[in-house]
Amino acid sequence: MSVETPAVTPELDHWHRLDRRMLLIRPVLDLVKSLPVLVGTVILGRGNDWEWFGLGITALTVLIGVSHVLTSRYRIADGQVEWTTGLLLRKHRAIPLDRIRTVDVTSEPKHRLFSLSAVRIGTGRHSSAQGANKDQLVLDAVSQTEAHRLRTVLLHRKEVVTESAPPPEQVVAEVDRKWLRYAPFTLSGLAVVGAVFAAVWHFAHQLNIDPETVGPLRDLMDDLANTAVWLIVVIAAVALLVVVSLLSVGGYVLSFWNFRLTRETEGTLHVRRGLITTRSVSIEEERLRGVEVKEPLPLRIAGGARLTAIAGGLREGKGGDKGGGLLLPPAPVGRVHEVAAEVLRENVDPATVPLARHPRRALARRLTRAVNGVLILAAALFGLAWIDFLPSWMWQAALVMVPLAALVGWDRYRNLGHAIVGRYLVSRSGSLARATVAIRREGLIGIVVSRSFFQRRAGLITVTAPIAAGKGAYQVVDVGEADGLAMAEQAAPGLLTPFLVRTPQR
Amino acid sequence: MPETLSLRPPAHRVSRRAIGYWTVWAAVGWVVLIGGQTVFVLTSDDAPTWLTVTLTISCVLAPLHLVVMPQWRFRIHRWEVTGEAVYTQEGWLKQEWRIAPISRIQTVDIERDPVEQLFRLAKITVTTASAAGPVKIAGLDHTEALALAAELTKTTQAGRGDAT
Repeated sequence: MSVETPAVTPELDHWHRLDRRMLLIRPVLDLVKSLPVLVGTVILGRGNDWEWFGLGITALTVLIGVSHVLTSRYRIADGQVEWTTGLLLRKHRAIPLDRIRTVDVTSEPKHRLFSLSAVRIGTGRHSSAQGANKDQLVLDAVSQTEAHRLRTVLLHRKEVVTESAPPPEQVVAEVDRKWLRYAPFTLSGLAVVGAVFAAVWHFAHQLNIDPETVGPLRDLMDDLANTAVWLIVVIAAVALLVVVSLLSVGGYVLSFWNFRLTRETEGTLHVRRGLITTRSVSIEEERLRGVEVKEPLPLRIAGGARLTAIAGGLREGKGGDKGGGLLLPPAPVGRVHEVAAEVLRENVDPATVPLARHPRRALARRLTRAVNGVLILAAALFGLAWIDFLPSWMWQAALVMVPLAALVGWDRYRNLGHAIVGRYLVSRSGSLARATVAIRREGLIGIVVSRSFFQRRAGLITVTAPIAAGKGAYQVVDVGEADGLAMAEQAAPGLLTPFLVRTPQR
Repeated sequence: MPETLSLRPPAHRVSRRAIGYWTVWAAVGWVVLIGGQTVFVLTSDDAPTWLTVTLTISCVLAPLHLVVMPQWRFRIHRWEVTGEAVYTQEGWLKQEWRIAPISRIQTVDIERDPVEQLFRLAKITVTTASAAGPVKIAGLDHTEALALAAELTKTTQAGRGDAT
């Protein structure tokens, strides 16, 4: 690969340590974490050798935590960030400054107690072969001023001149209290309900508690046995809806309280958000490859959408990177497009232009794919019912889903579309989770054209645009062969041309 | 006059020896499959009848697969390297054409398993910064692969930036 030279090499930095105040928090947290072990060995296993084993493990955990805080050191020197840690097992890691793509500052409650932050420095490499954490560095206890200094030094490659004057920044978007009405439509509360239910179930199972033997629950069951089935279903549905809505609103407040998207003069987008755990993500505009407007079905019905950045160094949905690219929480779709245009420095959001529809033949494919999935499920359930493993109402219910699946398939076809707008390749797809992506054409690193057996018969192709950001590749599904190739040729000028043949249409 | 567009196949075929290579690997797979079933049928006291059926089917399919697949694959797998791009074609039921600009190449790897060494073949893997998967050319003549990799590496080094 080419030899790169960093633009500015900051002066030699001395070694920094993690903030000592973490010593007050970390042992307590480690103790809490090893509480199950302690309870298990000291209380339940009272009087035998296991007791000491549990205590030993706990002591070791606390010691490791303390030594991590005491021995971790980092510095920025010679165009790289260096980091060492460990007492017995020493680790040393160096990341060249020009490889750094993101600096993500998170303050969980444990940090906020002493105004500390965790700084996650990411290189945004897509290879996971070397382990997910090999390419990033987490400094999990630095003061907030130090976090700010690191962010400035690492991203803008310059020293902070004065601490008193924060760099001027321009507000692109702020959360609006009225947007809370979109929260229930995100259904984010459903995950919480599911998790709680699973946890309760798990615990009851572990402790051998039979729901039948718990007094109040048994009374409830008896009452239910005397009530009409439809009433139970209605009440359960309404209760679930209310709980999920409340939880979703709560989740929205927790995650997006004080949401602010700003643009700094050095050309970075800066997102700050969160009520209890605050999060601050910086995205270099130079690394911005496009945006994605996400409209899950319930949110779409309510007229809302979310905006995500497609940028180098921001991976989607992987551990600490999850939600890193968020540019706007669920908000009115009009506002989302405004912010998208502003972020991309365009007059209009490219995702709003009318898209070229895909040929009618694509409809048949969407329908068969949607319906076949349900039919296969129904067949499998029927098979299981046939051998008396499952009740037969399950496969009947699956069959009832067929028209719904067809509806979804039809909506998927309706949503398919693509366009080339100026610098952007725009592609829309999906129904239950509709997404419109606009990616900068200069970001394309190649073209992949694929055609399955059924696509070949229908004269359709799928064009994949590989890109070193976001999901790594974005697709235009089931486009007509000639249209798709013309689009691909236009998207990556000159790349495809030598491999295309033009035949006059007869 | 309106035109229709289509992709032309890449210029080069892989080495003819690749046919032998693919046959050997497929044969190994079939030997394991048929051998396993045979051993079970012969040694087990009451082997289920369906196993005899699958064994018969395997015995019929194996020679067909061994004759047809390598030839077919040889016709499908094609590649081409121009001054600007690497272009490959592969796939039978699901066809795939990959084009990667040389300026965006990050690594060029050459791989040879024992059977490939026996047939003097090599596999080139060209990766870019995307997660969409590398461009692979399998079944190349080893000397040809070395020359190609050297050329690609040279061109890539001439490029600037981190290719993202």
